[in-house]
Amino acid sequence: MDFLYSYLILAEIYVLLGLSTNLLVGIVGIFSLSQAAVFGVGAYIVADFLLSGALPFLPSLATAAACCVLLNVLVTLPSLRVAGDYFVVTSFGIQLLATAAFTNWTGGTGGANGLPGIPPAGLFGFTLTDTWQYLVLTTVAAALGCLCFWLVMRAPFGRLLRAIREDELAVAAAAKGVLRAKVEAAALAGAFGGIAGGLYATFLSFIDPSSFDLDASILLLTMIVVGGARTLGGSILGPFLLLALPQALALVAIPTSIAAAARQLIYGVLLIAFALFRPQGLLGERL
Amino acid sequence: MVLLQLLLNGIVTGCALGVVAVSFALVYSTTRIFHVAHAGIYTLGGYLAWSCVTHGVPDPVALLLAMLACTLLGALIQAQLYARLERRGATHLIVLIASLGVLAVIQNVIAAVYSPNILQFPSAWAAGVVAVGRLRLTYAQIATLGISLAAFVAVLLFARLTLLGKRIRAVASNPFLAEITRLEPRRVYIYVIGIASAVVCVPGVLVPLDLGLQPYGGVTPLLTATIAMIAGGVGSFAGAFMLSVAIVVFQNLSLLVIPGEWSIGITFFIFVVFMLFRPRGLFASA
Amino acid sequence: MTEYLSVAGLRKRFGGLQALDGTTFAVAQGRITCLVGPNGAGKTTIFNVITGFLRPEAGTVTFNGRSLDGERPQAIVRAGVARTFQHLRLFSDLTALDNVLVGLGGQFGEEPLGAIFRPFHTARVQRRWREDAREWLAHVGLADRANERVRNLSYGDQKLLTVARVLATGAELLLLDEPASGLAAGALDQVMALLRRLQAEGKTLLVVEHNTRVVQQIADEVLFLHQGHLLAQGEPARIIADPALAEIYFGGAL
Repeated sequence: MDFLYSYLILAEIYVLLGLSTNLLVGIVGIFSLSQAAVFGVGAYIVADFLLSGALPFLPSLATAAACCVLLNVLVTLPSLRVAGDYFVVTSFGIQLLATAAFTNWTGGTGGANGLPGIPPAGLFGFTLTDTWQYLVLTTVAAALGCLCFWLVMRAPFGRLLRAIREDELAVAAAAKGVLRAKVEAAALAGAFGGIAGGLYATFLSFIDPSSFDLDASILLLTMIVVGGARTLGGSILGPFLLLALPQALALVAIPTSIAAAARQLIYGVLLIAFALFRPQGLLGERL
Repeated sequence: MVLLQLLLNGIVTGCALGVVAVSFALVYSTTRIFHVAHAGIYTLGGYLAWSCVTHGVPDPVALLLAMLACTLLGALIQAQLYARLERRGATHLIVLIASLGVLAVIQNVIAAVYSPNILQFPSAWAAGVVAVGRLRLTYAQIATLGISLAAFVAVLLFARLTLLGKRIRAVASNPFLAEITRLEPRRVYIYVIGIASAVVCVPGVLVPLDLGLQPYGGVTPLLTATIAMIAGGVGSFAGAFMLSVAIVVFQNLSLLVIPGEWSIGITFFIFVVFMLFRPRGLFASA
Repeated sequence: MTEYLSVAGLRKRFGGLQALDGTTFAVAQGRITCLVGPNGAGKTTIFNVITGFLRPEAGTVTFNGRSLDGERPQAIVRAGVARTFQHLRLFSDLTALDNVLVGLGGQFGEEPLGAIFRPFHTARVQRRWREDAREWLAHVGLADRANERVRNLSYGDQKLLTVARVLATGAELLLLDEPASGLAAGALDQVMALLRRLQAEGKTLLVVEHNTRVVQQIADEVLFLHQGHLLAQGEPARIIADPALAEIYFGGAL
């Protein structure tokens, strides 16, 4: 039972990441390779606060979310002002820089060995010790995330983002701020990513740089490409499917030495296949 | 003295990176596709050459065979993937995603087939050292410097003097017009990516000769190369090459004050400076 | 009569082409002024410069005594000058109502925090804005097409929708880029009636138009542009009757 719970918990954490990625890549339409970096920043911040005992769980989570919002704003604001492909290079650079920081800044992140022994989450005096308790937490978090996403998309902001996707010039001619809307969407995506990171850190109680590298960013992209871009359904389906993949692979006898490469290989194939044959993914709209 | 050695090392590696930058710029300025899979071709070239060399093929022949294979792969990616996507009206984003998929496939096939760990070239000659005063250069570095410069000049001459090169420049400067004249942009794209793949194979073999082969080792060079291309100004090959050398030299010199693992930070810092103050790059022609 | 909109000495070059070559003219308030001229005369370029989408190398644009030089497009619209596009640039996946709503300014919930933390307020306020948008659609004659996706609208209806969207911005000076082109007789009359109605309501219109019948019927004044500068200016009947101008416009064939 614990095994199923773990899968559900991780899937729900990745739903938050799926919402985050879908906001940036699906809805605003910018190719971001730094989603995992933001995830990692959130995770390490919460882990550091909890390990040092400086802040309890919820304030740590809020701080992580705020930092990730700031990170995304700082990254998107200057680069989106210039031409489109600038952001690709910027996010690419941020991802590699983050990996370097996670791996080498041993003081803050424990370096390549990561941070073990992260205390469990504590809410209102109650410490989460059992897996099913975490499941309640992540289910609530994922549900809140989905609610926010839904509210945002049906509000004028969502309409503005859809219009920007179609024709930025016409939006500017209608006196609406294009850059501002994109940065706001990126900020929201950052908040989701940071919170997902915090939940991840306390659930696994151990984090290391390998969960937040370029390969992880590729996995996040694959989730929304397969699940479906720009929709709530796609943001949910993608993570659940892609996280089940390693279990499916385990049924096929693949030597452990190449298991990781095999997974990443499949993600690559999925990206190519869906780009060619089903760009809207399973439950999404055309990317 | 350490300073001069760092400078020298920087120039050598910078020239190799310059070839990566120029080959990427060739693809980007013509097709407008941010061809991240290029990093995979760079990596694959090295591994294919390694396979040849470990089976007794002489080093220069191994390089040529690797270049041939890279050319074919690059042309295949354009003809079967990018061209198809374009026919289906794919957005820029979808093409980028597909290119990323190709990169992931190439890198991980290499990791699965060869090994995720670092492989070294068994070329004993490469380690030989030439001493000039207190400066030292390995034969691998000399080869890298010479061949990279030659490759760079070859690309410049090709673009300027040959018929195909001019055709490529024509398509790059006005794809719409190219479409309705007889320039056949689609065929040109295949040539461009084919040639660029052959060119990037050169540093793909030379750099690992010194530093070893790694399946995911193409990603950081590609990032640095794209930053050099942008800082140099899209459309200027010389700009891309010179900025590559400049960035790597700067990175190397910064080793005096900053540990090596943070060099990516240096590169990114340079990029941020350009993005904020001179986004069009130094020598933009478009 | 004070100059409502005036452009002076505009210069704009695109590579080897001098699109605007010292363009200077003024538009009076409350009138319909038509901008005519052969292709490549610079008409759309002028629109782009006035509305801030292009920066000229020289020259100034003044509206209501205020300089528009160097302003961002959004600021210029808020100052009261808005434009439509020759190629429509509607949001084809959105409904007609949504297209107009994008043009309506000052809506609550157009940023994420309001949308998330005050969802009921957002929804309530949205109802009011939707009513406003419906009124604009009704104003141009599209009241019954409000919930249609743009891709399902006829070309004539799409043209009317571009006018509704630009009206929603509340601008007093409307720059309309070929509002009547490509329309059949019935839709054409609808558009012309709409333009006259807008003038009667106090809007000032600067219209790029190729159709001489339209120009004759609605224009109070005609500006004839050629090779980036003003060649002639005056009443429609006079300009259209001028053989030298016709030569330039039609290349001799009439």
